[in-house]
Amino acid sequence: MLRLKWRIAALKNGLQDATAYRIEFLLQLIGSAGVPALIQWLLWYAIFKIGGQTEVAGMSYTDLLAYTWMSVLFSQVRGGDHDFALMEMIRSGGLSNYLLRPVSPVEFVYIRGVAEKLFVAGICLVIGMIASFAVGLNPLHLLGAMILALLGNIIHYQLGAMIATLAFLWEEAYAILMVKNMVVQILSGELIPLNLFPANMQWVWKMTPFYLYVYGPTQFALGRWNLTEFGNAILIACAWIVFFTVGIKVTWKFGIKRYLSLGG
Amino acid sequence: MNRTLTKYFRVFFIQLKNNFVREAVYRSNLFTMLFVDIIWIAVEFSLFGVIYANTPTLAGWTQPQVYFFLGIFFASDALFTTFFQRNFWNFSDLVNKGELDILLTKPIHPLFLALTRWMNITAIFNLFFGIAIAIRYAEPAGFSGGMRWALLPGWLAVGVLTAIVVRFAFSIWIFWTERSFALSRMYYQFFALATKPDALYPGWVRYVILTFLPFAFIGSVPARALIHGLEMREFLTIVFVLSGFFIFDLFFWKKGLKRYQSASS
Repeated sequence: MLRLKWRIAALKNGLQDATAYRIEFLLQLIGSAGVPALIQWLLWYAIFKIGGQTEVAGMSYTDLLAYTWMSVLFSQVRGGDHDFALMEMIRSGGLSNYLLRPVSPVEFVYIRGVAEKLFVAGICLVIGMIASFAVGLNPLHLLGAMILALLGNIIHYQLGAMIATLAFLWEEAYAILMVKNMVVQILSGELIPLNLFPANMQWVWKMTPFYLYVYGPTQFALGRWNLTEFGNAILIACAWIVFFTVGIKVTWKFGIKRYLSLGG
Repeated sequence: MNRTLTKYFRVFFIQLKNNFVREAVYRSNLFTMLFVDIIWIAVEFSLFGVIYANTPTLAGWTQPQVYFFLGIFFASDALFTTFFQRNFWNFSDLVNKGELDILLTKPIHPLFLALTRWMNITAIFNLFFGIAIAIRYAEPAGFSGGMRWALLPGWLAVGVLTAIVVRFAFSIWIFWTERSFALSRMYYQFFALATKPDALYPGWVRYVILTFLPFAFIGSVPARALIHGLEMREFLTIVFVLSGFFIFDLFFWKKGLKRYQSASS
């Protein structure tokens, strides 16, 4: 019971923290959704309307627009910056406070950080459901896609938490997190649909779990993935989660031995 | 006039020296940021690489022309990042924590000190990367080269000046809002519009990024000016828009100073 209590408290605390400045929260949400969508749309506009092309990688202008609008919903749910917070705790010595408490610092930082994303996921789901009814998409597909996107959120944090342990050894480890986020931007399908990659380069995104964050959910929500493909994606996501859970245990066990608790 | 300019140059070089000494202490940071910048450039190139794998031209721009544009954009952005960006992130502290007090007492314009105090010398490598990329793709992009390379510093200056006045227009509201994070973030979201050539955009978006949010002046217009040249109307637009932003920024800076309540702001 106590174990559940602190998790709920951390969630509440995280949500209150994220939404303390409501106008700021709203502006951030609108900006992070609207501008990337606008840029994607402009690219398709340039290719189809200005360039006069009728098809790109088997997709029409309408297909690409549908991808853009749907992917915006899932790109709001993907990742967060709480892996940076974890790294900063290690670097600055703030981790010491958490080592004395009966909670896992990795889990605590995640639960606190994911509260905002869960709230946003709820909003996106409602918007998506309304849109689904309007354009004739299957709302259950949207629900499944959101579950996949949330699994992607866990994977993203787990990878970040593993990378964060580099801070036990190296002051500038935040750079690796920055690089990870840049790579995720392009390989998650947030900037462009991943099927635009040339055939001989498709392996690049298939070998990482990043496509499960935005591209996979979008494809399923739009009905471009069947149930078997979706089931496979869920299984792959679970496998990555198990892999990273073990990875976190190993890297933290190794890293904590080197923790100096400077500052804090 | 000359003496005033000399004084400002001297102050600028002292700030540069101080920042260099501070950054020289953290040498590993230099290599780390270099690595991050290379990845950023690689991601931008990959994005256009994937798009051009599916289409021969993008709104009339060939792949080498877009890469030439990226080179100019990276160089221009590197100058802003090196000399000014950090000051804008610290701008809210100046107002909220009352750190502006000390700048107001100096015998030099406080805005000059506020915008040149902190530098990020490691970002200067991107300037070299950007110029190298521009040189590499200049010929296939149709840039005639030769003496026209002498125009490059001028266009880079236009890019930096644009970034300063627009970023300032997003930051100045700190005197009224007390929290500037959302507006700063919004600036960087709109800044994404600068990472693509303006020719890609439909009429109304193009109008916006050439007037109210002139992000096209950072890389796109300079690249277009170097490759194709600009019409007189476009030159006049640049002068008019940048002057407008300059007047707007100064007006609100003065208004903001009147609201400033020192350390208790």
